Amino acid sequence: MNFFLYSLAFLVFSVFLMLFSARLKKITSGIFLCSLIVGSVLAIISAIKVLVNQTSLDYHAALRMPIGEFYLGLDALSAFFVFTISVLFLMSGIYGYFYLQDCEKKNLNAHYSIYNLCLVFLLILVTAKNAVLFLIAWEMVTVCAYFMIIFYDQQKVVRKAGYLYLIAAHTGTFCLFIMFLLMQHNTVLSGGQAGSMNFDQMLLTPFSLPLAGLIFVLAILGFGVKTGFMPMHIWLPHAHPVAPSHVSAILSGVIIKIGIYGLLRIILIIKDFPQWCAVLLLFIGMISGVGGVLYALGQHEIKKLLAYHSIENIGIITLGLGIGLWGQINQNEMVALLGYAGALLHVFNHAVFKGLLFLSAGSVIKATHTGEMDKLGGLLKYLPWTGHLFLIGAVSICGLPLFNGFISEWLVYRALFENMFQFKINAIVFCSLAIIALSLIGGLAIACFAKAFGAIFLGNSRCLDNKQLKENSLFIAPMIVLGGICLWIGLFPKTMVSFVLRAASVVSAVNLSPIKQSAIISPLITMGFVLALLILTIVILGLLKKISMNFSCTKKAQTWGCGYSLPTSRMQYTASSFAEPILRIFRNILGFTVKGNKPSGYFPKEERISAHVVEVSEEFIFKPIFQGIQFLASKLKIIQVGFVQLYLLYIIAFLLLLLIWKIV
Amino acid sequence: MGIQILLHLTVMLVLAPLLFGIIGKTKALFAGRWGAPLFQPYYDIIKFFKKGNVYSTTTTWIFQVAPLVYLATILVSSLLIPFGGLKAPVYFWGDFILFIYISGLSRYFIIIGALDTGSSFEGMGASREATFSCLAEIVLALDFIILAILSKQLILSEMVGGTILSSWPLFGPVLLLVGLSYFLVLLVESARIPIDDPTTHLELTMIHEVMFLDHSGWDLACVSYASMMKFFVLGSLFVNILIPFHNLSAILQTVVFGVGMIGLAIIVGIVESCIARLRLNRIPELIIGAFVLALVGLLIILIKGV
Repeated sequence: MNFFLYSLAFLVFSVFLMLFSARLKKITSGIFLCSLIVGSVLAIISAIKVLVNQTSLDYHAALRMPIGEFYLGLDALSAFFVFTISVLFLMSGIYGYFYLQDCEKKNLNAHYSIYNLCLVFLLILVTAKNAVLFLIAWEMVTVCAYFMIIFYDQQKVVRKAGYLYLIAAHTGTFCLFIMFLLMQHNTVLSGGQAGSMNFDQMLLTPFSLPLAGLIFVLAILGFGVKTGFMPMHIWLPHAHPVAPSHVSAILSGVIIKIGIYGLLRIILIIKDFPQWCAVLLLFIGMISGVGGVLYALGQHEIKKLLAYHSIENIGIITLGLGIGLWGQINQNEMVALLGYAGALLHVFNHAVFKGLLFLSAGSVIKATHTGEMDKLGGLLKYLPWTGHLFLIGAVSICGLPLFNGFISEWLVYRALFENMFQFKINAIVFCSLAIIALSLIGGLAIACFAKAFGAIFLGNSRCLDNKQLKENSLFIAPMIVLGGICLWIGLFPKTMVSFVLRAASVVSAVNLSPIKQSAIISPLITMGFVLALLILTIVILGLLKKISMNFSCTKKAQTWGCGYSLPTSRMQYTASSFAEPILRIFRNILGFTVKGNKPSGYFPKEERISAHVVEVSEEFIFKPIFQGIQFLASKLKIIQVGFVQLYLLYIIAFLLLLLIWKIV
Repeated sequence: MGIQILLHLTVMLVLAPLLFGIIGKTKALFAGRWGAPLFQPYYDIIKFFKKGNVYSTTTTWIFQVAPLVYLATILVSSLLIPFGGLKAPVYFWGDFILFIYISGLSRYFIIIGALDTGSSFEGMGASREATFSCLAEIVLALDFIILAILSKQLILSEMVGGTILSSWPLFGPVLLLVGLSYFLVLLVESARIPIDDPTTHLELTMIHEVMFLDHSGWDLACVSYASMMKFFVLGSLFVNILIPFHNLSAILQTVVFGVGMIGLAIIVGIVESCIARLRLNRIPELIIGAFVLALVGLLIILIKGV
């Protein structure tokens, strides 16, 4: 615990130091870099200590808080999230330090100190053992994230996106307030006194099934808005593209995951849920997963595409949670462990590869000043580091073998399949649906990232002159570390899987026996052997090819244009045309439309054609609701006429009403 | 272990092109021709390996590596499937998920390899490949769900081996439906008629073949060899599902397996001779048809109970 507290203290101290040394820009950025590295490394050490030793630590502070107490605890679940958060914050922070160097006019000190403040409150959030502390940290994270999103606040679209995020996050928090109050109300202290806000006390009291269901729905609504469950995800695709890239990375990698942490914490506290809660989670997972990747296919802007992919990955994580909860409810310990472990590992994996992808996207945008995929092309030759790291991220996010995404998806798949062996009809139905959804997600993700990587990095440039582009080598270093983690987990998953199994055993309250652990890990080791064989085969084939090429001639030529002799780079297949066949199949769900006319006649005039997807939940669910609210609110204007006397009358009338209500 | 792996790979490397020879011969006989010799695919591959390479100036290393990855993934995924008397040399709990995803890896690489040329024709083929394979993957997943439920196993060689024999008397219709839907997946994945016509002359109508327009020499040899072996791997899985022979002696098993594979090649040849290629926008309907077949199988299991 000491390391963790030192880390917190260090970061808090640095926040104040940076605010007070605002004049000295050089010193401030130095403080930022040092404090971030020291703070996150300390937090990582403390988390690894807890995960290795399997002991949980508690800390009660002497300082009095308005309500409740300052009570932190590091169990395996918290430690795992502390680990994830610190790793990504460290890497994004270093990247951001170099990324923002040319923003001289901005107040970077404020940004740096808010960045560290956000890290502090995230760490408090995932270790808080008291509901009030949890909510305070939750709100502070929301506010810090808001200030980081609106970094480029002179643009109107940025301010609008930030505002949308703030409203969405607060709407969710409203549900959380009700949820925690309900939980507190149910908790009875030993003396028969009123409830407690401490998670420990809540853990000891039993919850009736209907109440557990109600709390669960509130948790889904409250945490789901921030996490981006499918119908409630509208802020994500607006906020991610406008933020600076390192902020998008932590938004997508960490901040949306704290909702998952919240759900896991609630599952841990309440333990017994009705069966439909697991089904609800599975359905949310399927909708978010498939919907997220389909919308991503329809995007033309790289960061917006990545934002939708976050929703898809949240879907995969939720599928893991759902099947874990199913196993926990039906006392199927293996399924519970596998499901939660898959979900948790995907939380970490997604943080790593999505961080990597956003950082590479940032590097592309920095070099080319655009994120429109149909304007780019052929960047792999001119931005080699960025391109190859983006490729690693893309292969990982598709869940393909050799990289980390596959390991977590394998765990989720295995949980779903093992759950069918009980031969209950509902288990077979829901698990089959989830498996089909997961494999559809996999196939669509491959299409989507082939499109993104192909359009940006392969072929020829469509609009820009690539030759002038230069890669900034300074912010490549953190990306290399993230890419390395992807490969490390993909080939040697043992360490991370044993970590997540410990966290999963805490959540599901299943005792992690060595037999179970080896039943989960030993197939992964054989798989590592197969993957090593795959790499070996590729290397051998490559060597054979190299040797044989010495004996035959190799020529360079233009790409074959199927007989057309004057091809231009604008004739290449664009990202929009690549995605069109899939979008056409799903056009009814997505509202996919192609606008424009085909050229006609012998001497065709210039025509334009463009493809769009309609954000259904924004257009058809939230817009009508908010327009309705606005309409009703405008009706209330009648009582607002601007006379102070009248307003005083209202107050008196209201007080009278209260008095009457009290008497009667 | 090492010897087993080498034996497994050798069997496939030697026999895979023969199936294409048989398909070609069947088609020729149906058309009333004598056709190319049975060993023509071998000659083709040897010819490609001897030729020099031409690379487009647009391409990067991805274009050169993609065929190797394609070949390597097929070689490795073949290790998970038994070939008659030859047991699968590598297996672990949940290996069929690796089988599905490793084919995803090869697909990803050949798609980006095609996009690497910057040719609009190859981009078109890549886009179609991505679309249809992603639909075929769902059907494959559903087939595996049924096999997993019937065999209570998550090991690929066990799912299509041992216990499937005991399921035949009870769940014959289910296995037939699975076999049929898997057959359609096989046609999609190995780019045969009625989904794709590898011998068509017009690039605009191709799916799989158009992605390799710019490949030459070694790369083309790798790609065509890999396509043949992909047919062999998928076909051997099909034969394993449909022909329950797992309690015979090893030699008999091998004989039955060999006959089954030749039969499969002849069936594919007959299908190709009798049916025209589908219009592109009809292909999703065919795949959905395959999905429905498998779904009916799952419903039978649900109603009947296991």
